[in-house]
Amino acid sequence: MADDQTSGVQSTGVANAPKNRRGRMIPVWFFVGLLLLIYGILILITGIREWSHPPTTVLSNLHPTFWWSLLLIALGAIFTFTSYPKKRK
Amino acid sequence: MLTADTMAILLAANRVISLRPVDLAIIIIYFISVLGIGFYLKNYATTGEDFFVAGREMTAWVAGLAFISANLGSLELMGWAGNAYQYGILAAHWYWVGAIPAMLFLAIVMMPFYYISKTHSVPGYLELRYGHATSGLSAITFAVMTILMSGVNMFAMAVVLQTILGWNFDLSIWVSSITVGIYVALGGLYSAIFNEVVQFFLIWLGALLIPILGLIETGGWAGMVARIKQNFPGQDFTHLWAPMAHPSQNPMGVQWFAIVFGLGAVVSMGYWTTDFLVVQRVISAKDIRAAKSAPIIGAYFKMAVPFIVILPGLLGLAVLPFHLFPDNVVAAHAAQHLHSYDQVLPLMMARYLGPGLLGLGITALIAGFMSGMAGNVSAFATVWTYDIYRPFMKKNASDKHYVAMGRWCTIIGLIISIATAYIVLHFGSLMNYVQDLFSFFIAPLFGTVLIGMLWKRATKAAGFWGLLAGMGTSIALFALMSNDPRTIGWFCFYPKAQALAQAMWQALWAFIVLVVITVIVTLATQPRPDAELHGLVMGLTDVPSEGNLPVLKRPFFWAVICFIIFLILQWIFR
Repeated sequence: MADDQTSGVQSTGVANAPKNRRGRMIPVWFFVGLLLLIYGILILITGIREWSHPPTTVLSNLHPTFWWSLLLIALGAIFTFTSYPKKRK
Repeated sequence: MLTADTMAILLAANRVISLRPVDLAIIIIYFISVLGIGFYLKNYATTGEDFFVAGREMTAWVAGLAFISANLGSLELMGWAGNAYQYGILAAHWYWVGAIPAMLFLAIVMMPFYYISKTHSVPGYLELRYGHATSGLSAITFAVMTILMSGVNMFAMAVVLQTILGWNFDLSIWVSSITVGIYVALGGLYSAIFNEVVQFFLIWLGALLIPILGLIETGGWAGMVARIKQNFPGQDFTHLWAPMAHPSQNPMGVQWFAIVFGLGAVVSMGYWTTDFLVVQRVISAKDIRAAKSAPIIGAYFKMAVPFIVILPGLLGLAVLPFHLFPDNVVAAHAAQHLHSYDQVLPLMMARYLGPGLLGLGITALIAGFMSGMAGNVSAFATVWTYDIYRPFMKKNASDKHYVAMGRWCTIIGLIISIATAYIVLHFGSLMNYVQDLFSFFIAPLFGTVLIGMLWKRATKAAGFWGLLAGMGTSIALFALMSNDPRTIGWFCFYPKAQALAQAMWQALWAFIVLVVITVIVTLATQPRPDAELHGLVMGLTDVPSEGNLPVLKRPFFWAVICFIIFLILQWIFR
């Protein structure tokens, strides 16, 4: 079996952040957060522009682009800051 | 699943969506991100344990989300939204009865054996339980079928991107393959899992607005049902069980018995508990409680997936100003530019999502395609290296050698996939055969693994001959029903049973034959000594008790709650 032949890594008990000879791994939540944050900001800019120039989509009068961007930014910020690598010592 | 006919239609159709610069920026950022993650994870994927089972370090949440994402591919999303438009809420059976019991069964009954045996794969478990022959049969069929499926999905992806966005077929295939090849070859299963978690969020956040805005437009569920009745008088699209008493009462031509026992008890069990593509994600969990919890977490999200897949299909029935049609009708009226069922999801995206949001939705679809590809090649690399190359070609090589083999397998697997995609481009009907073939090999495997885990008397020879008989039955029934439609009535108990119903009956018969053959051969052969079966079979394995844990930390407790919610959903939408 794989275990018998490999050195493996020591479990830290903190999954997705295993210790390794190269240091501790940044958790996947950080990458998710960063991506959502960037997307949120891009979509927010679009959403603000659309307030004066609404697209031709159905229900664009509800400004879904603007409001959804706020959700993305909020989720992105939560994930980014709670899993920020420097905090995980 | 999209068919070859759909693909031919899509290739000829006009594009559905036009992207703006912000949408393209979102897509490009996604590509840069996944490559960046791959390069970052390269430093961590150095041993076989890292590369093939992600160091067995994943939390229940990461493994659970990867587990569900591996199944949340773009073709499934688009295909099942199309099925919801065609068959109504009946399509939700594939997300509820066709998934939840199996996922909970994997978590509670089967996962302890996979985990305690410390296997790296499903064929790896069969090797320990039944020996080389059964493992080899399962590994070779899995490796071949997985890589062919990967090619078929790659082809489908390029066609969908060409149709929806007007993108070049070759460019889509090469850009996505090279990206996936780089990040999986660098980070192995770590990369695949990380990208699946990212994909999970993109899919939900990219698609969730469609049902929300759809329900606002129709005035809620009741408003949607009223509009569907107005648009399609006399047809029932919104009841899950009421039209299931007899196959003639529903458009699928299937009755409740086939759904519960064919889909719920055999087909879905085969997929969710023995398809290594999904099981590999759970094997990467950090401990047995995480391994048991991961499929349960996945099950909660799986129950919610109909909200972003089935509901958009139903909303399409209610709000689209034109009707969608079966593939053959669309093909017969090409000049009228009709749309097929499978285009309902992109059409609903174009209806509600403006610039930016559309980019997010399209990125979600691309992410689904790419992580599906990554899942296929990472599972292929593991099974090839550990279950075919190591036992049959080069035993006792160094760990470094096997990791190098895994990286090369990723690249070679992708090259074979690309070749398959181009072969399918020229011989479209091959696509349907590959999809059918995959089901022949996956469905019977459940019987062999389950008997191996629960019955210590089952012998090596029985495992092999049972599995072979199950696969043979599946293939023989398919050949019979395809070539002589009269036989459909014999095996499905209803002559007008549709393809999905036929597949369920085929799997059910294969399972029954497999069990019978396995039992007969077992009784005629010598059992293995108990000492060889420790950690592999019920009764000879010390499964840690959950009794010492607080109730809220017990996987079994969450599985029970999940099952109750599942039952409530069946009742609400009966």
